[in-house]
Amino acid sequence: MTPERFHQIVEAYGADPRRWPQHERAAAEAWAAAHRAEADALLADAAGIDAWLAADKVDPPGAALQQRIIGSAPVRRPSAPRRKLWWSGAAVAGVGVLVGMAGAFAVSFFVLTGTVPQMHESSYLTSSFGGSSADWSGE
Amino acid sequence: MSERDPDAELLEGVARQDPAAVRSLVARKLPRLLALATRMLGDRMEAEDVAQEVFVRIWKQASRWREGEAKVDTWVHRVALNLCYDRLRGRREVPQDDMPDEIDPAALPDAALEARAQDKRVREALAALPARQREALVLNYYQEMSNIDAAALMGITVDALESLLARARRNLRAQLAGSGLSKDKS
Repeated sequence: MTPERFHQIVEAYGADPRRWPQHERAAAEAWAAAHRAEADALLADAAGIDAWLAADKVDPPGAALQQRIIGSAPVRRPSAPRRKLWWSGAAVAGVGVLVGMAGAFAVSFFVLTGTVPQMHESSYLTSSFGGSSADWSGE
Repeated sequence: MSERDPDAELLEGVARQDPAAVRSLVARKLPRLLALATRMLGDRMEAEDVAQEVFVRIWKQASRWREGEAKVDTWVHRVALNLCYDRLRGRREVPQDDMPDEIDPAALPDAALEARAQDKRVREALAALPARQREALVLNYYQEMSNIDAAALMGITVDALESLLARARRNLRAQLAGSGLSKDKS
C-alpha cells in the first residue's frame, strides 16, 4: 500500500474500512496504523462527508404502493383442492352405479317372470274408511 | 463453484406466477429500488412511478430470464437507472430548486424538523451533482454495491468509478463548506 493509493481509497470510498475494496482493506488498515497522524487527518475529513451522506434517509414504501405493485403481477389462480374434487367425483359415480344396478334388476325381473312387479297402492289412493279390496264380512 | 444468485429462485417463482414469490420479490427489491430512484430523481412521486415501472418490466421478463448472464439485482438496477435517466432527460429545462416542500413546520417537533431539513439539504446537494457522479455515489454508498458490481453496472472500469466517487465527494465537501459546487462537472 502506497500513500497515494491510501489517499485514493479514502477519497473514493470514505473513512469506513468496511466500504473499502475488499482485496485492499487489510493493507490499507495496516498502512493507517503505521502512519497514524497522516491517516487520521485524511480519515477525519472523509468522515464528515460520510456523516452527511448517512443523514439522508428515504422513507420505506407505503402499503398502498406495495399493493399496487403486487396487484400488477400476473398470478396463478389458486385451484380447488384436488382431494375434494376426487371425493365429489367418486360420490357422483357411486350414485350412478347404484341407479344403474337397480334399473338392471327391475328389467331382468320383468323379462324372467313376464309380470310387472307388484306395487303397493299409493297411500294417497286409500283411506282408513275403505277402498281395500279384501272382504272382511265373513269374520 | 460460484454461489447461486440469491434472487434467481424468486424470479423463477415469479415466472411460474407464484403469488408468494411475487410478494417476496416486492418486499426484497422495492425498498432498494425506491431509494435508488428517490436519490437519483430527488422526487418521491416520480421515484414511485419508476419503481412501479421496473416491476412491470420484471413481470414481463421473468419467464425469459437466464441465470448466469447477470445478477437479478444488477439487472433491476440497470432498468431503474435507465428509467431515471429518461425522466432526467425529459426535465432538462426544469430548475433544480423546484423541488416541492410538502413539510408543514407546525406539525413537526424540533428534532424531526431538523432531520427533515437535513434530508432536504442532502437531497438537494445530491441533485446538484452531475448525474454520473450521483449515480456512482448512490450505487456504491447508498445501495452498498461493491466497486466491481457498480462499475460493471455503469459500464466503466473500477478506476473510472473511483474517479467519479472522489469527484462527487469533493463537490459535496465544497457544498458543505458553503462555497457551492466546484467546477468539476464531468
